[in-house]
Amino acid sequence: MNDNIWILMSADAIAIATTLILAGLGALFTERAGVLNLGIEGILLASAVSSFLAADASGSIWLGLVFGALIGAILASVHAVLSVVFRANQIVAGLALVIFGTGLANFLGKPAEGKTINTVIEPLSFGSLSDIPVIGPIVFGQDIITYSAILLAIVSSRYLFSTRPGLELRATGDDPATVDAQGLSVARIRIRYTMFGGALVGLGGAWLMLAQSAGWHQAATTNGLGWIALALVVFAGWRPMRIIFGAVLFGFTLQLPFTLQAEQITFIPSAFLEMLPYLATLIALIALSRPGSRNLLGAPRSLGSPFVRDER
Amino acid sequence: MMHIPFRVVFEQRGETPRRLSLIVPLVSVLAALFFGALFLLATGYSVFDTYTNMFKGGFASFNGITDTLALSTVLICTGVSAAFAFQMNLYNIGGEGQLYLGLIGGAWAGIALGDHLPSLIMVPILLICGALAGAAWIFVPALVRSRLGTSEIVSTLLLTYIGASLIKHVIYTPGSFFRNPNTSFPQGRRVADSASLDSFGSSRLYPTFFVAVVVAGALYWVVKRTEFGYRINVISDSPRAAHYAGINSRRTTMMVMSISGALSGLAGAMLIVGPYGKIEPSIITLGYGYAGIVVAALARNNLAVIIISGILFSGLRVGGNNLQVTTDTPIHIGVMLQGAILLFALGGEAFRRYHIHIVRTQTQPNIKMSA
Repeated sequence: MNDNIWILMSADAIAIATTLILAGLGALFTERAGVLNLGIEGILLASAVSSFLAADASGSIWLGLVFGALIGAILASVHAVLSVVFRANQIVAGLALVIFGTGLANFLGKPAEGKTINTVIEPLSFGSLSDIPVIGPIVFGQDIITYSAILLAIVSSRYLFSTRPGLELRATGDDPATVDAQGLSVARIRIRYTMFGGALVGLGGAWLMLAQSAGWHQAATTNGLGWIALALVVFAGWRPMRIIFGAVLFGFTLQLPFTLQAEQITFIPSAFLEMLPYLATLIALIALSRPGSRNLLGAPRSLGSPFVRDER
Repeated sequence: MMHIPFRVVFEQRGETPRRLSLIVPLVSVLAALFFGALFLLATGYSVFDTYTNMFKGGFASFNGITDTLALSTVLICTGVSAAFAFQMNLYNIGGEGQLYLGLIGGAWAGIALGDHLPSLIMVPILLICGALAGAAWIFVPALVRSRLGTSEIVSTLLLTYIGASLIKHVIYTPGSFFRNPNTSFPQGRRVADSASLDSFGSSRLYPTFFVAVVVAGALYWVVKRTEFGYRINVISDSPRAAHYAGINSRRTTMMVMSISGALSGLAGAMLIVGPYGKIEPSIITLGYGYAGIVVAALARNNLAVIIISGILFSGLRVGGNNLQVTTDTPIHIGVMLQGAILLFALGGEAFRRYHIHIVRTQTQPNIKMSA
């Protein structure tokens, strides 16, 4: 058995986990504010292709990343306005965003199909540290966005649980009436965090495009990562630190089929391996649910329901 | 802090004026088309050419109309599938995956039974097998939703990806039952001749269209007129009231989700007896199941209105695909417009439910000193 492939796989799994961490944190902030945005998959796709176009046109990969985050925030603002201001059904609004985002991505991506980008996000250099066997490529072979994503998860955890705005955010998701009574605007907080969440998802999509795929292939880029990110938030019990853990775990299951294929381990049909991440997510989701366990898990209590002061 | 000189007030309407129920969806569609036009302008495509060709391709020619009705056959089924569950606040968004299983179920019956039975028996058997396969695919999500409260949104969706792998597996694996054994190129094996319907004349419209319409109508009747439908309404209005009324919401959840899955499966089987005659792997890229969600939402889950929204929506899609032949506008504008229409319709919904007006607020509010 070739050890190298397994090390590479671990490095790749962590790399894929980057998108999941960013998208998962985006969904987490949104849901902590009490807004359910199912449109993550659509935002990922649309921001991926727009970041590609921006990077292609400007020649700057960083501009691409910023642009991806911006598109993410704009699309999320549509969801925020619909669900917070217009009090629309958040589930249907999210799905509409998936359909719209997919169409938008394919429309914009049409001229870019088959194109590749010259510059890539280089892994950070840690000198000789990266040459340490096994640990080197896994721990010290990632790029700056991956490290930032992990750092962001840690900072988010502090922000959420040990700061005043974090408390307000959690309260908005759990008990908006109290937040309202404190003289804070529930609507403003919800819109703000939905857009911030969208920007994080957009950054994840942009990174997936610019660091992971060489070029834009119609709709194949995200392959359901957005949905996995949503399940990841449930899996993580709406806690940022656990997002890191879950994301790496899912990163591994996503990467496993390629590795096994490379190792020519073929007694497991490849179709089954393809199913593995989705199957694992499904099983985790079922295993985590018990009757009436929603609050036990830590789901924001007013998740998905609009706040209406006069109907309280 | 910035001070906004006005405030938007939402006032719940006691009763929705009838005209609004008509005007709001109409304005939503127009607004989405207007937005689409701006978008086309910004990206440098011709608005006029795009829209006239879409209209011609979807509605204004013999082929256009029959193709639109043909596609609506599937979309009415997946639309009813979505709406039937949505009306009970069960969000089965995995209709896409249940449709894949319908393909497998239908193709299995069509191949396994061989050419022995008359079409009149064979075709219904295929449709039933497809529906059963679709219902089987939603069994686990329905079970854990009704017993453990696991979100059916994520579980049905994850199963869609698993279903897509399954389709690829049965077609690409050498020696698979569903694969055509006579070609080296991976292709689906054709079902027996007696399991294939003929289309009307030179069109691509199949008699299954009427099955879809009848199914939608029948379920509309079930929801409005039967005791089962009444139970669904009570549970969706007030789960607590349903509980005290002794309605078994677990069993109703199982039933409703199973029927929803069966309807998407039926849509898949209709593709087998109708246009395809075999499992065609490219079907998994068409998104008919997802489109059903939009069709349902546009009809506000009214099962009878879905027939209309399904046809309109197919027209948009057929017209969009027509762009490939007639203009250089990417066909994905069709999908984009679908999403945009739904987003505008959701926004418009607020105008239907609330009386929205803008109130000026003064910087120095006059405090009313009433008792």
